[in-house]
Amino acid sequence: MAKMGQSERRQALAGVLFAMPYLIGFSVFLAIPLLTSLYNSFTEYSVLREPVWIGVRNYADVFKDELFYKSLGNTLFFAAFSIPLSTIMAIALAMLLNTKVRGQAFYRTFFFLPSLVPAVPMAILWLYLFNGDFGIVNAVLKIPYGALGLEPPNWLSSVDHAKNVLITMSVWTVGNAMIIYLAGLQEIPQQLYEASDLDGASPWQKTKNVTIPLLSPVIMFNVLMGIIGSLQYFTQAYVLFPGGAPARSTYMYSMYIYDTAFRDLRMGYASALGWVMFVIILTLTFTAFRFFDKKVHYEG
Amino acid sequence: MKNASAWFAALGGALVLGTMVWSEVIVQQPDKKEGKVIVTYWEKWTNFEADAMRVVVEEFNRSQDKIYVEYLSVSNVSNKTMLSTAGGIPPDVAGLFGGNIAQYASNGAVMPLDELAKEAGIERQQYIPVYWNMCTYRGKLWALPTTPASTALHYNKGILEEAGLDPNKPPTTIEELDEMDAKILKRDASGKIVKMGFLPTEPGWWPWSWPSFFGGSLWNGYDKITMATPENVRAYEWVRSYTKRYGLGTVQAFQQGFGGFDSPQNGFLDNKLASVIQGVWMYNFITKHNPEMKWAAVPFPHPADRPDKANTTVIDLDVLVIPRGAKHPKEAFEFIKFVQSQKGMELLCLGQKKHSPLIKVSDEFIQAHPNPYVMLFAQQALSVNAASPPKTPIWPQWGDEIKTALEKINTDPNLSVKDALLAVEQKMQIQLDRVLESERKLGILPEDGSRPSEDQL
Amino acid sequence: MAKSDKTLTQQNLRAVVVIHAALVILSLAFLVPLIWMISTSLKEASEARAFPPTWIPKEFLWGNYSEAFNYNKENLGYAPFAVYGRNSLILCLLTVVGTVVSNAVVAYSFARLKWPGRDVAFALTLATMMVPFPVLMVPLFGLFKELGWVGTLRPLWVPAWFGAAFNIFLLRQFYRTIPNELSEAARIDGCSEWGIFSRVILPLAKPALAVVALFSFMGTWNDFLGPLLYLQRQESFTLAVGLQSYSSQAGGTPLHLLMAASTMVVAPVIILFFFTQKQFIQGIAATGLKG
Repeated sequence: MAKMGQSERRQALAGVLFAMPYLIGFSVFLAIPLLTSLYNSFTEYSVLREPVWIGVRNYADVFKDELFYKSLGNTLFFAAFSIPLSTIMAIALAMLLNTKVRGQAFYRTFFFLPSLVPAVPMAILWLYLFNGDFGIVNAVLKIPYGALGLEPPNWLSSVDHAKNVLITMSVWTVGNAMIIYLAGLQEIPQQLYEASDLDGASPWQKTKNVTIPLLSPVIMFNVLMGIIGSLQYFTQAYVLFPGGAPARSTYMYSMYIYDTAFRDLRMGYASALGWVMFVIILTLTFTAFRFFDKKVHYEG
Repeated sequence: MKNASAWFAALGGALVLGTMVWSEVIVQQPDKKEGKVIVTYWEKWTNFEADAMRVVVEEFNRSQDKIYVEYLSVSNVSNKTMLSTAGGIPPDVAGLFGGNIAQYASNGAVMPLDELAKEAGIERQQYIPVYWNMCTYRGKLWALPTTPASTALHYNKGILEEAGLDPNKPPTTIEELDEMDAKILKRDASGKIVKMGFLPTEPGWWPWSWPSFFGGSLWNGYDKITMATPENVRAYEWVRSYTKRYGLGTVQAFQQGFGGFDSPQNGFLDNKLASVIQGVWMYNFITKHNPEMKWAAVPFPHPADRPDKANTTVIDLDVLVIPRGAKHPKEAFEFIKFVQSQKGMELLCLGQKKHSPLIKVSDEFIQAHPNPYVMLFAQQALSVNAASPPKTPIWPQWGDEIKTALEKINTDPNLSVKDALLAVEQKMQIQLDRVLESERKLGILPEDGSRPSEDQL
Repeated sequence: MAKSDKTLTQQNLRAVVVIHAALVILSLAFLVPLIWMISTSLKEASEARAFPPTWIPKEFLWGNYSEAFNYNKENLGYAPFAVYGRNSLILCLLTVVGTVVSNAVVAYSFARLKWPGRDVAFALTLATMMVPFPVLMVPLFGLFKELGWVGTLRPLWVPAWFGAAFNIFLLRQFYRTIPNELSEAARIDGCSEWGIFSRVILPLAKPALAVVALFSFMGTWNDFLGPLLYLQRQESFTLAVGLQSYSSQAGGTPLHLLMAASTMVVAPVIILFFFTQKQFIQGIAATGLKG
């Protein structure tokens, strides 16, 4: 027994040593900054001066701040469309790629390519694709719109359409999720499909009864990551629509935090905004988790 | 086998270590060059404007043997300077915009220059008042001018002629400007606009300035924001009248056909737009992209019922500051001093084809200046109706709010202009109150809340 | 297997045709923007803005690429593209190596070693995935300022050497699929934990590590906000932020040159993916990313 105890102890020591980089990193780059930010959120603070305690004033301000609601609304709008649309697109692509037809290596690369384009070139490209005067999107849309006697919208300067440009972009870059779904699909045992073939199931029934249930853990994972990611959505919007133009219709929550912190140097307020975001993410993730937990099919 | 993997690990480790060292080397900044102290100077300019400043920098570097100024063009310079000052590694000199000064000063991000200026014999009386005034905040000097600008209406004589207008009788009132636009406006068969006389949102660089032309103002200069006065509402109603008249989508499509400002596809330079409000620099872009154009510059029109608002002009100013935490403030000021000398300033302003912020101007400067309207811009700067952005730390945010409000007004024909402006006022008044409160606490303002004298604002 | 003799029934043939059609149409939709990017990169300035747009440049101007590469060289004294590219590569190397090494080690501890508090620590680790970067942005900036790291590449790569929740999770899932008997046998042979890790587990973990490496490479190559905050001098910019400064200068870079520069940024990543896609997908399948 004593020997067992010793080996256990040795393993425990090894375990802590192996985990040490992360334990340090966790404290230095996460836990301490997180607590600092919590403290800062109750202060008036710019990095150039010491923080001054002001109690809950920042939080009280947040809930009266029209721009907070505006940017949060924009972000939620973006998330509400981009997450379902990209999920459907990614699963559809993965299912097509999972069929046994020739040339899959090429298609796989084609669908993944857009995800490899860095945000800045992507934004620049998008800016010209959607240009209302000479962009190719409107060059194509002119045909259906023209048939109805309408003009295609000015995507980039229209308050109602600018967000759609960002959503389209997110659907175009589903490569990562698609690959993860594809990997998940390849894990589904072939026998299950063969069994439903024998039952005379239609492709739609097979999708509904076999594919989706077995893929549900992967869907849950991707959707949860999607929620967390899209609430922090920054780069594309920042590059494509500086200042959230037109009329702040594309001003995202993260852009507001960035501007507050590093343009206005109101870092206390920015921290409060950040914590509110954190709480929103926690709530949404938890709700989504509860929702999925009932539906997800766990194997074994 | 074991040996091979050990070798492999060692090689990999050496590669990583080497890269780490390399990653340090590439961010190293030498402190001295050939025994001279290096002063890093960040500036917003590119192209010919940068070239003009480079000439001044070289002149300075040659003029003495202790300091070497290194000029760097930095995009988004005000944000970058703020970040690097906050990060503790600012440049020694930064070329900011006049409208940033109060924010930098109030946050302690720049050094006060009063002492150094006094020693160098730099004084208020040497400058055109509006420019010097922009460099101060709460009674202290925080920056010194580089190139100034005032604005005027630039118009394309050719287009006026084509439309049957007298090219030597440009509009003098807002009403005449609208008439001119109506006469010039041209659409193609599909209803797309192909030519316009004027468009307030092109390029729309000073959305905050429109009230000034109509006799309004944004605040009382100290503690009260007055966004929604009748004059201000009138100004923005007028701006919106253009999209209202021609249809928002049509105007937007017309504008999206323009290329970048500094390109031959610029609406004005491409002969699509007959007139623009622009600064003294416009001359350069005309000669660069459309040298054939016959043009003139005149004071921007005023409302017919407000003749007292003739010669209203938007004032813009580029300045030099020394960020707090700069490594070589003394050397940095030597350079700033050189730029402030009549010789340095005229070299710079002639290179950029602008007027000088100094009162004293040499005859050679005026004679050598290629812009035929340079004196107009210099005089406009002395106008009683010269409008500069409010001097307050909240200005960057406030200006942004105005810009957004105007975007909203412009894109929504049914939005009440007054409500949109009131929303800005309410939001920014709270911020202004907070700033004043903390300035009182810090002793920068009188504690009893009384308004300080004019030169302490 | 009874079905295999009727593989080419009419119904199946129709299905194959439909699937191919769907794949081709979708491929076009996904490729058109990129094709347009490359086509514009070879056009003349005025043609790039022509309406209706031309798909094939009137003349293929390969010189656009060298022009974009050397853009603004005379003022800066160096070719910005080469310098940004070098910085991006340095950063990628340091982050990828750091990410792989640290996460491989840490995940091993969470997956295969028992120590007090491990499960709590792991739950916490998973929870940290929900912490948004904007919350940490300000205090981290303050921290790196105190350390004197602002303006260096350090804030961008040093944290990578301390593990990250997502990768730990990914690798832990994978390690747990490796039969325990393998490490038990080695343990009985008197092998140290480090020995077990490096000689038994690591060689088996290659596909999963490759996935981690590739994700980390792509993340670093495309990272925008980090360099935007910490890099101050233009010579230290990465491609992602460097391109931004190309386009936002007063006049803006001509469209065709921007597209050429963008193509050059995208190309290395595409090539990398091309050569690794098979391992990549297999690796992901192997980690069984399933939550």
